[in-house]
Amino acid sequence: MTSRQHLLPARLTATTAMMPPTGTILPMTTAFTSSHGRRTRKPFLAQLADHAEPYLYSAPALILIITVMLVPLVLGMSYAFRDIQLLNPFSGGFVGLDHFRTLSQDKAFSGALKNTLWWTGASVVLQFTFGLILALLLDKPFRGRGMVQALVFLPWAVPSFLAGLNWAWLFNPVIGPLPHWLFALGLIDQPGNLLSDPHHAMWGPIIANVWWGIPFFAITLLAALQSIPRDLYEAASIDGANWMQRFLSITLPFLAPTIAITVLLRTVWVSNFADLIVVMTGGGPADRTQIVASYIFTQAFKALDFGYASAIALVLLVLLIAYSMLIILPRQTLLNKG
Amino acid sequence: MASITIDNLAKSYGTYSVLQGVNLEIKDGEFIVLVGPSGCGKSTLLRMIAGLEEVTSGEIRIDASRVNERHPKDRDIAMVFQSYALYPHMSVARNMSYSMRLRKASKEKIEAAIAGAASKLGLEPYLERRPKALSGGQRQRVAMGRAIVRQPKAFLFDEPLSNLDARLREQMRAEIKKMHGDLKATSIYVTHDQIEAMTLADRIVAMHGGLVQQVGSPLELYDRPANLFVAGFIGSPGMNFFEGTRHSDGVRLADGTLLKVQLPPGADDEQGITVGIRPEHVELSAEGVGATVDLVEPTGFGIILHLSLNGVDLKVFTSDRAFLTPGQQVSVSFPTHHLHFFDAGGNRILR
Repeated sequence: MTSRQHLLPARLTATTAMMPPTGTILPMTTAFTSSHGRRTRKPFLAQLADHAEPYLYSAPALILIITVMLVPLVLGMSYAFRDIQLLNPFSGGFVGLDHFRTLSQDKAFSGALKNTLWWTGASVVLQFTFGLILALLLDKPFRGRGMVQALVFLPWAVPSFLAGLNWAWLFNPVIGPLPHWLFALGLIDQPGNLLSDPHHAMWGPIIANVWWGIPFFAITLLAALQSIPRDLYEAASIDGANWMQRFLSITLPFLAPTIAITVLLRTVWVSNFADLIVVMTGGGPADRTQIVASYIFTQAFKALDFGYASAIALVLLVLLIAYSMLIILPRQTLLNKG
Repeated sequence: MASITIDNLAKSYGTYSVLQGVNLEIKDGEFIVLVGPSGCGKSTLLRMIAGLEEVTSGEIRIDASRVNERHPKDRDIAMVFQSYALYPHMSVARNMSYSMRLRKASKEKIEAAIAGAASKLGLEPYLERRPKALSGGQRQRVAMGRAIVRQPKAFLFDEPLSNLDARLREQMRAEIKKMHGDLKATSIYVTHDQIEAMTLADRIVAMHGGLVQQVGSPLELYDRPANLFVAGFIGSPGMNFFEGTRHSDGVRLADGTLLKVQLPPGADDEQGITVGIRPEHVELSAEGVGATVDLVEPTGFGIILHLSLNGVDLKVFTSDRAFLTPGQQVSVSFPTHHLHFFDAGGNRILR
């Protein structure tokens, strides 16, 4: 008995409870070798089928992903290395890294890169701040909360082009009230158009974007807030924590994963989001509101240079992936640790 | 440690009344259990003492000073929640020391308090773990440690064992009792489990419909229930009740049987009366009333027999392992000194 236990110790200890102590061990080991022997004698075709089986099962999903996602992506990326201009019928040849060389000298591009940082940073920070405040306010029960929630989330449902037009008109001194109000308050010298002021034009699309994007943060943060167990707050208030201490030691740690992922999503989204700028300023005045995304749009659909536009898009893609890694990696390690 | 006085306390949400005039005097160091079915207001009462619910009317006094308007943190009480309510982002040690850190206690003091609580609860190996990495029983211990560390005037427990399995509940129940023996802290414990109430309490407060039904020692409630509700709620399996009318020399039951018992005079004849007897007090004997066995429930410790006595359902608990099957005939007798009598209003008739 003891010598046999040395042969198959783990298996035996795991199964002794279920089988009679002796006798069964030998037949079991022989069953193992015989099944092994049979497998090696299989014909080649059967073996091939065996190996291909898992791939065949996943083939429909893989084919779908490849045709719908990867093929267009690779095609689009390949344009970056070709000379594709819609108005030039002789274009289409492979140009290697020419576009990228041009890009590194392109003043408009480096300006757009700076504007993108400014546009994205200000938009996301303001959207997040106001969204968090709104979510905290809506988390408290009050009369008519359902109604207010529905109203607050309304901007999110407005199409971005409509929002852009709307705000462009609001800033227009001929038809919009905003310049006159600001003038009456003494904030500006004359009721001019903010969108044509080279120093402050960027604030126009940023304000529109903040108005439009607050609900996204408010919705997601409110959902996260409502998943925090109430008795944690009660325990903390019995322990002697005031509002700020409860916020820092309960609310914030609970919201952190949601904050990280929404800020990441919104950053990528906003930096790619040219609608408002194209509608409100078209990148002007004098490229002061031109961001990389609107610059791509301009290159592709105004200059009709698809090759160059693809090259810019590729650079933006690389930058955004690098940024995402910056956020996702620490978050993942945090989650694994917690 | 402190005494707690509840004076004519009431609570209502709009027009819906949850508690209606509760009076209670809790002595220093006493272990009080609030027991009752869900919705009876016991948790609301506890949360009002903690300061988590506002008082509609009446007064709560801790050590003779009114605390109605005091914030929970200024009442110097500690609470253990059913869901444990541990801070998930803090280690066990940081969970336990949170209140002391908020009070800016010195580092040595905090460490001493944590070490003391951890050794009392056997939590030393887990101090650096997060609550997520603990079992239910360990989490409940941490929640208790968090309360002990505070050295509060009173401990409040809100169904602390309800989320644990039966075996662990039994073990933790004994630990809580031992802890109370060591600390001698005033404790208020809410539960719907009458076994917990019986085993833990110095005094039980049985509640129903927002009213206190009876206050007394566990055996007092078991032996002399003040009314039908307490009689039916305390004890498992529950007490048997028979409807009847009062008669000059006893009680005539609904089926016509006359129970000859001595009842105090005063009430009129022909008045409605309810007779109660606990299943464990019904005797299976050779002479007695014949009954049919409907159902047999062995519990291991004994057997619960569901009988039909002239069409009236009757439960009997017996430790006799006599082999009985449904359909069999048995005869039962009711020792009169174990009978409880309740008047038409459901209140106990004193004998």
